[in-house]
Amino acid sequence: MGALLFRRLLTAIPTLLGVVILSFVLMRLAPGGPFDGERALDDDTRAALDAAYGLDLPLGEQIALYVGRLIRGDFGPSLVYRDFTVSELIAQGLPVSLTIGGLALLLACALGMGGGLGAAVRAGRWQDEAIMGLATLLTALPVFVTGPLFVLIFALGLGWLPVSGWEPGSPSHLVLPVVALSLPFAGAIAKLTRAGLAKALNEDHVRTARARGLAERQVIARHALRPALVPVASYLGPAAAGLLTGAVIIETVFALPGLGRYFVQGALNRDYPLVLGVVTLYAGLIILFNLVADLIYGWLDPRMRAE
Amino acid sequence: MTASRISLGIVAIIALAALFVPPFLPWTHSAIDWDAVRAPLFSTGHLFGTDSVGRDLLARTLVGTRVTLAVALAAALVALVIGTAWGAIAGWIGGRTDEIMMRIVDGLYALPFMFVVILLMVVFGRNIVLVFIGIGAVEWLTMARVVRGQVIALKERPFVTAAEAAGAPANRILTGHILPNVAGVALAYLLLTVPQVVMVESFLSFLGLGVQEPLTSLGILVKEGADDMDIQPHALLIPGGVLVLIIVCLTIAGERLRDRLSQ
Amino acid sequence: MSLYVVEELSARIGDTVIVDTVSFAVEAGQCVALVGASGSGKSQTCLAPFGLSPAVPSGSTQLDGVELVGADAATLRAIRGRDVGFVFQHPLTALTPHLTIGAQLTESWTRSGAPTPSRADMVAALDRVALDAPEDRLDQFPHRLSGGQRQRALIAMAIAHRPKLLIADEPTSALDASLRAEIMALLDELRREHDMALLLVSHDLAAVASHADSVVMLRDGRVEESGPAADILAAPRSDYGRALVAATPKLADSAPALPETGAPLLHAENVSVSFRRPGWRRDRLQAVSGASLALAEGEALALVGGSGSGKSTLARAIARLGPLDTGTVRWRSEPLPERKRMTTHHRRLIQPVFQDPVASLDPQWRVSDIIAEPLKHLRPDLAEWGRAGAVKQLLQEVDLPADFADRFPRELSGGQAQRVAIARALAVEPEMLLLDEATSALDVLVAGRVLDLLEKLQHERDLALLFITHDLAVAKRLCHRIAVMDAGQIIEEGPTEQIITAPAHPITQKLVAAS
Repeated sequence: MGALLFRRLLTAIPTLLGVVILSFVLMRLAPGGPFDGERALDDDTRAALDAAYGLDLPLGEQIALYVGRLIRGDFGPSLVYRDFTVSELIAQGLPVSLTIGGLALLLACALGMGGGLGAAVRAGRWQDEAIMGLATLLTALPVFVTGPLFVLIFALGLGWLPVSGWEPGSPSHLVLPVVALSLPFAGAIAKLTRAGLAKALNEDHVRTARARGLAERQVIARHALRPALVPVASYLGPAAAGLLTGAVIIETVFALPGLGRYFVQGALNRDYPLVLGVVTLYAGLIILFNLVADLIYGWLDPRMRAE
Repeated sequence: MTASRISLGIVAIIALAALFVPPFLPWTHSAIDWDAVRAPLFSTGHLFGTDSVGRDLLARTLVGTRVTLAVALAAALVALVIGTAWGAIAGWIGGRTDEIMMRIVDGLYALPFMFVVILLMVVFGRNIVLVFIGIGAVEWLTMARVVRGQVIALKERPFVTAAEAAGAPANRILTGHILPNVAGVALAYLLLTVPQVVMVESFLSFLGLGVQEPLTSLGILVKEGADDMDIQPHALLIPGGVLVLIIVCLTIAGERLRDRLSQ
Repeated sequence: MSLYVVEELSARIGDTVIVDTVSFAVEAGQCVALVGASGSGKSQTCLAPFGLSPAVPSGSTQLDGVELVGADAATLRAIRGRDVGFVFQHPLTALTPHLTIGAQLTESWTRSGAPTPSRADMVAALDRVALDAPEDRLDQFPHRLSGGQRQRALIAMAIAHRPKLLIADEPTSALDASLRAEIMALLDELRREHDMALLLVSHDLAAVASHADSVVMLRDGRVEESGPAADILAAPRSDYGRALVAATPKLADSAPALPETGAPLLHAENVSVSFRRPGWRRDRLQAVSGASLALAEGEALALVGGSGSGKSTLARAIARLGPLDTGTVRWRSEPLPERKRMTTHHRRLIQPVFQDPVASLDPQWRVSDIIAEPLKHLRPDLAEWGRAGAVKQLLQEVDLPADFADRFPRELSGGQAQRVAIARALAVEPEMLLLDEATSALDVLVAGRVLDLLEKLQHERDLALLFITHDLAVAKRLCHRIAVMDAGQIIEEGPTEQIITAPAHPITQKLVAAS
């Protein structure tokens, strides 16, 4: 297991480096720079600005410099939010995004696994059909449709919850964004759980467990559930990526001060260090989630520990 | 089987309507009817009403659907071509080549790919061709994995060894035995990729990074509807409903086909 | 009163009747064998009354006076946990992968209300089924154990609660031949020791003969005949019974007349094959190391050995259908080119037939195209109509109707598919056939008929055969000589009669003893 983790970490480094270089090159290829726009700058000022931010160096050197600083945890200065470093912006935005994303992931797992389990034990009956139909519908509900819709119904219509915004310590501001963000993932997890359990319940070892005279509840809990959750575990990586992406929309719809909004602003304003920082950070997070998924595999199925 | 036929039928009807109905409507999607700003549902001349600047919502929805579907189909085809080629080559050659090619796919999977697409949009301008090339170029990963798995499984099947014994050259084995047997699964994943791309395209358009005015797409319409929803909710509900319907139907059809083939 | 009484038991899945008014009884301490071809309903007869199959039972089944048919789920559960134990066919998949052997044994042990067993109790239980290193096994996960070890562990679990009846559903058919006898002997011992009744399901009449007291023979869900084991096996009354007994080749059968052999044909020397293990490590798995064999015109050589002994890998390397590291293969003293350099002329010499008949045929191709494939590539001189005529003739030769040419593989049964595969192999008139377990995936009766066909072809076409099998009795029917493989090496080789009557190597002796 330790060896596996070590190998995974080793392959994570070139992946991250690839992300950084790719994004860096892409940003530099872009016509126009961060100091275009507002007002025309004279050549001297522009050269001075470029020099100050290291934009006049050859591309290779810029990347090397950037990676060097990155290792020390320094994402550089933001070009648009001039008084802030990217690290400071991340420190402000990330907790908001992680809170929303993390809570949505937990809710999606709880709803999805519960629904999938409920459907699997009633396989073939109307409850199964209903839950699975709902799950398919949920996976097809984009957050940019559900988000505004929820606001319309629960905030504007019924007035139960606030329309938008963020107040630390106010859970009511979290409800709508978290629920809207979690629903498609809950649907996907429900489908995976249902399919996994249906398969597991037909396996030979489950028949052996039944032959022992175990109650169906015990058969599921002790013998069928763990193998059934392997596909759910492998969905964690893509789910993490999807949640981070969905958070961008959610933060826009609900006007939350998260990292996703900084990213969109940064991208629209060619704030290279900010965009690069967010992409790198998110790539790291997704790799981390895939590592967690590997650990969960090992727990779910000891055969995977051997590899 | 019937569920997938009904689903495909619904998508076909929506697609045909989006293609052929707009020329027969009294209003184009960008024409402004100054006399009917925010017309309600079912008003004369505007079956779906009009938006906040007086543009016909029926025409806009149909044209938006057309654009969304066209982008999605094109991007899914890009994904199909790249993914099938990549996966088939990796699986067919095998060994080190396969390992390296699939490590690249693994690495790309770890990319926060939506952010990369956004990056592409920002860097190369908000161009509709780029939208689908960009999306297709990242959506091919799943296709590559699936096709590779299929090719490797098929390569081990005795009928491929029998074909070798029958003197069939490698290219004939690939085109005569392997690819035809991969086609069904590839089609299922093509059906599943289209709704993925519909989602991504709408996502980008919603953020203002995808399709640009005067062209419209379902994502743009949802965004406009969301901005105006406290006054006329149907401006959000109609394009949102069409979007969800397309995604649901294609997902059902794709999943049914995939499950049928994997039995 | 008998311990287990089955009366007019029927079982159906949906509208399909799987078991049709079956009656028999099992006395305490007795062994009853349910035999029949696959699909005859033997497993369902055993499992359906206990609620372990999707089939719905009707009629009556009483265990120790308690009616099972119609009993509620809780009652059946209690009976499964207390009065009856089960051993299943596939030991590799029958254990829960994420629970240790000890945890699963404890679960079985405590179901009948017994207190949690001590470690010493469990070690003793595993020791009783002759599982080696029982102390260590308790903490291991199932995947660490071999197939035979897992079957022993499963048996230990099945009898942990001292059931009155043990139901063993094909307990040995997934195991290597040499292990089968050991497992059967173990079941027999345990039955006597605990005075436990044993209901044995098997398609293998030979295995049943020496262990069962009585036999119930099923066909299409109905009892074809039943009675004392010795009577039924020696003199079956029904045609089906006779066919079933006849289709099971026995080592004791007299050797058939085999065709004359001619000049030396094939000579493989020092063949070694290794595979790269997956992953980035560079070590290789040696599948075949330095094996040599020779074949004359019209001669049949059986390559026997347990699973994983390298027999298929060796045969494929020789036929240039698989990888080869080192070694030479000569055909009539001319070296055979390597795999990628095989010419049309060379490809025509050796044609293969594989184990899984359905997987051997491309599901997208019609039978006519499948059979014509080698003709197209290896007989370019034949025109389209020539190929069609050849296909027709080949179908006739393998006893299939001409209209099968238009069918797809999914429209064929296993036996029919294997006949198509044989027709394809014969299409280019090869001098040698490579038969890789060509009958072992088929049902007993079907396999018997395919063996008849091969025998006919062997005589008519003067074919050399390289016959890969794990079954010595089958080898004896067709082959002049036998080569025994183990761990990638040929450990013994000689005339069939000599190998069977006077095996020299301990592994061969074990193999012969088990057959």
